[in-house]
Amino acid sequence: VKKDVLALALCAVPLIGIVELALHVKQTTSDQVPDADWLAARDAVKAEVKPEDLVVFAPFWVDPVGRRWFGDELAGLDREARPDESRFPRAFEVSIRGEHRAELEGWKRVSSRTVGKVTIGVYENPAPVKLQTDLMDLVGPDRMTVSQVSGPKETPCPWQHGVGQPGGLGVPQGAALPGDRFVCSGGGYVGLAVLHALDHHPHRCLFASPQGVGSLRIRFSNVTFGGSLHGHSGVQWVTERVPSAERIQLAFSAFDRPIGQNVHKIGVGWTGFEFPTPELAGKKGDLVAEVANGAAPRAYCFEADTRNVGP
Amino acid sequence: MSETADDKAERKERERETDPPALPCADESSNKVAPVTADASPKKPDASPKKADVPPKKDETPDLATRAKQWLCANPDPFIGGGIAAGYVAWLLATARGLGFSRDEGFYFTAAYEYKRWFAMLLDAPARAIERGAIDPIWSNNHEHPSLMKSLFAISHSLFHEKWKIFQDDSTAFRFPGMLMMGLALWVTYMFAARAYSRRAGVVAAIALGLMPNVFYHAHLACFDVPIMAMWTTCIYVYWRSEQEGGLSWALAAGLAYGLTLETKHNAWILPAVFLPHALIVHGRSILRHAARSSRVPVPTSLIAMTVIGPAVFVLLWPWLWNDTLPRIQEYVNFHVHHDYYNIEFLGRTYFGPPSPRSYMPVMIAATVPTITLVLFLIGAFDRARVLLARFSLWISGEWGKRLPWPKQAPERDRAQTDLLVFLSIAAALGPFLLPRTPIFGGTKHWLTAYPFLAMLAGRGYDLVWTRLETMLAARTALDGTRRLVAQTIVVAACFGGAFAVTVHSHPFGLSAYVPFAGGTAGGADLGLNRQFWGFTTESLNPWLTQNAKPGETLYFMDTAWPSWSRLIDEKRIPPTLRGVSSPADAELSIVHHEQHMNEVDYNIWTEYRSSTPAYVLTHDGVPIITVYRRAHGRR
Repeated sequence: VKKDVLALALCAVPLIGIVELALHVKQTTSDQVPDADWLAARDAVKAEVKPEDLVVFAPFWVDPVGRRWFGDELAGLDREARPDESRFPRAFEVSIRGEHRAELEGWKRVSSRTVGKVTIGVYENPAPVKLQTDLMDLVGPDRMTVSQVSGPKETPCPWQHGVGQPGGLGVPQGAALPGDRFVCSGGGYVGLAVLHALDHHPHRCLFASPQGVGSLRIRFSNVTFGGSLHGHSGVQWVTERVPSAERIQLAFSAFDRPIGQNVHKIGVGWTGFEFPTPELAGKKGDLVAEVANGAAPRAYCFEADTRNVGP
Repeated sequence: MSETADDKAERKERERETDPPALPCADESSNKVAPVTADASPKKPDASPKKADVPPKKDETPDLATRAKQWLCANPDPFIGGGIAAGYVAWLLATARGLGFSRDEGFYFTAAYEYKRWFAMLLDAPARAIERGAIDPIWSNNHEHPSLMKSLFAISHSLFHEKWKIFQDDSTAFRFPGMLMMGLALWVTYMFAARAYSRRAGVVAAIALGLMPNVFYHAHLACFDVPIMAMWTTCIYVYWRSEQEGGLSWALAAGLAYGLTLETKHNAWILPAVFLPHALIVHGRSILRHAARSSRVPVPTSLIAMTVIGPAVFVLLWPWLWNDTLPRIQEYVNFHVHHDYYNIEFLGRTYFGPPSPRSYMPVMIAATVPTITLVLFLIGAFDRARVLLARFSLWISGEWGKRLPWPKQAPERDRAQTDLLVFLSIAAALGPFLLPRTPIFGGTKHWLTAYPFLAMLAGRGYDLVWTRLETMLAARTALDGTRRLVAQTIVVAACFGGAFAVTVHSHPFGLSAYVPFAGGTAGGADLGLNRQFWGFTTESLNPWLTQNAKPGETLYFMDTAWPSWSRLIDEKRIPPTLRGVSSPADAELSIVHHEQHMNEVDYNIWTEYRSSTPAYVLTHDGVPIITVYRRAHGRR
């Protein structure tokens, strides 16, 4: 019997080749998502999505295709390079191959439909928040100033409109130097760019790294405060992927009173922080962020917003 | 080592055991060649006519054509292997124009142009050419790799492009020697498997080797990975023949082959890990006997030849080593021993230094080598390992003077220990990739040297499968020669139809291709496996660029090397009106070759262009390969 089974198994081996061929044909024909399905999905999402909603593509590797068809209006930098998902009350997940984004775990699915080979799932945030001020919206000379602080000396860093330096042919490239930025003496700068974080995801944030001794003082004006100050920090991924004892400090203050201090350890990746500010809720005023380096200048980047819990 | 009478007898027996049968083309009246019907038992002496079995009739002196035909009938294997190799090289040539240039190819094109100057000088003024002042400026170019393949690229370019104008593209002429090396790899794989197992195993082994998408991709390139696969296999084959045949000529050939292998790529340094243990096991007893008698340790002639001739050939063929020889060899060795670690994605994580994941090699093999090939390999490997263990068990029994319960029947003799050699060849090629300090940035290309042997065992596995099928079929229907041939063709097509389809479909995205059982290209992306490296896919943008790029527009070509970009432009593989630039800051169009660590380039372009919307995404089976961005008018 054993010999018969073995003989039968050997005779069945060519079936593996046949299955291999059948799978290949399926994967390269009927499994493919035609452009028309992407366009139909775009129209379906466009008809329902609100400005405060999130649009994501699943799996993450199909993101470029999704961005191509959905465009800046639906898949622009605000959504693609978001700090996290907490600010969005609702998410449209545009998915192929039955994939699902881990970021939406715990969100409640309220609807799902298929458009050709694309599935559109609508999810509700279980803990919605109301954004008061997104500091990244304030970047520019109108509502922001930057200065370099060394002991008692504070030197302004003027705003410049220039040519960006987004990297060359070598990789890893390092973070892009944005064309529009505050330029400090000695080479330091503060500017809005997209960080390639340790998780390989994009995060739009404010690059701020003091050169040498001292710190960078960034003043955001006319900020509406809420119940908390919520934010993230990270360092360019190549630096971050080699953990070290190095620390970068980010201290917030308002109305001449400290709000909180975040210490970023090299190696932790893009991580969040939150400081309760119930005493400031509803007030308007300047918010000051002060960045102090560890051992050496790093491509450090942070973002923050003021918010209230609840819709 | 001198050959004793015992050795001679053993050699004769080995020869008898391992010569594949001649084609039974005795039926000359019908002028037909009977189908190949090798038995599943490898090396079994059979009744088929041998070289010695088909002498000309005594009272006739056959004419040249008859003698040639007789010789061909008695020695068909070089021609069968040659036919497979020629067909494959033709396939490579037919598809070469559609494949862009990787970074390293660009550097080797440049080196080959330089070396060509030196060869011209050698012909014009030999005395001047061998002066240090002439050698060093030219041969310092790309001296981190030996010169053999780049010299062949140069010679091929001179002959096939410039002189005879056989290839219109410079690049095809540069690539041609690499393609021929793939032909050599197929030929040797066929010959080896045909001699070791059966002609059918040889054919299937060559098919299995040729129908691997990664191998098909690398076989197009003017690089060293397929050439070292070919030379590694050739060197082992020649050594094996020298073990079988004995005599000085095969030993000298082994020395020469090892020298050429050293001169092809540094994988050759590992080959002693194949030869030394094999020689020790094959000749151990004889060595001990001689050592006891004469107080000297005899070493097989092939090993002596490889030790002496190998390094000599290595130095002689590489002019850069003609001056400051030892320091430069040291520099060459140091470069590879302390090689940089490049980024490579594996299971969703980018590795950039030690420790390399031990699962990398087995997972990548499972995901890129067609599953049918791996299954056949496992069947063949199990069969040969069983025989090897049975021999070992018998040896133990002999040494201890106590019979072990297994095996009940003695396996066939093989004094050349072919199975051991095959397993050692695989182990030496793959073993380093189980070490934590071995860089893994080359994907599968750094262990291609294992694949011919893997394919050989797949051929052996196919032998076993076919034998069972044939028995089953014979029980149900009368199997004459024609029916048997048709049945064999159908079974081979059933086995390898998928591998063929995957390989054809993978072009020109061979590195993005994963086997259907791993989910295909999209499955590879789901698993977080590497999608490509070294920017060779830029050429695949040509249809879109032709339609959408305006004359004179600038394009940031990212991971494509400057020499590769220049060649693309020169050969009009992309619109020659485009101007390449080295930063998105200077570019109207910017591209990203998708690899996980290249995401930074993507995001930097977003910052520069203030948009995350691509103008175009080049995909393969729906998986992004390259994203193209266009700077919005006035956004600078």
